[in-house]
Amino acid sequence: MKNRLKVLRAERDWSQGDLAQRLEVSRQSVNAIETGKFDPSLPLAFKLARLFERPIEEIFTDEEERTSESAI
Amino acid sequence: MNACIGSPAQYRFQDRFLFFIVPLFVLDGILDIWGFHYHHLHPAGALAVLCAAVQSSPIIGFIVIIGLYLAEEKDEFQKSILVQSMLWAIGVTLAVTTFCGSMEKYSQGPRVDIASVQFLFFLVYIVAIAANRWRYR
Repeated sequence: MKNRLKVLRAERDWSQGDLAQRLEVSRQSVNAIETGKFDPSLPLAFKLARLFERPIEEIFTDEEERTSESAI
Repeated sequence: MNACIGSPAQYRFQDRFLFFIVPLFVLDGILDIWGFHYHHLHPAGALAVLCAAVQSSPIIGFIVIIGLYLAEEKDEFQKSILVQSMLWAIGVTLAVTTFCGSMEKYSQGPRVDIASVQFLFFLVYIVAIAANRWRYR
């Protein structure tokens, strides 16, 4: 699953540590989510959506959905 | 919560490990080296059962503190790292002991001391957790 966390974070001039503190998770967690190595749970995705004041689908993109859309 | 230096659950896990598992390991080592190898003590009956229970207590205690950590930790990514490391430790320990057991059965190889298998488990767990932390640094 792709995401726009790095861009959204950069817009606010937040470091990974800043975002981690706001989400109450470790910096490694933010790094793993940003690099696509770890998909967050639904509660954490909602927390991110609330924090960035965006709908979840604007932050996360489902790769499978994108592939099937481009195939059509 | 400070995101850079670990969660309260991680601190509790470390404290439990230091003050609960390490002393059990020391007791285990004293029994093993001083009692069985140096003095060649061979307890029987209830004492043998008690000594065997002491020898297996670090692994039981470790599973308990892992369970407590998983229940207390809110960071799902940190939980997943711990679970991955545990799976590596369990998998490698089972594979190595199965291999050694088979070698012993088929080719009359040297006898594997089953009581020391937990040291292999802890060793692989420590290597796996260090590797995972480095991977997601």
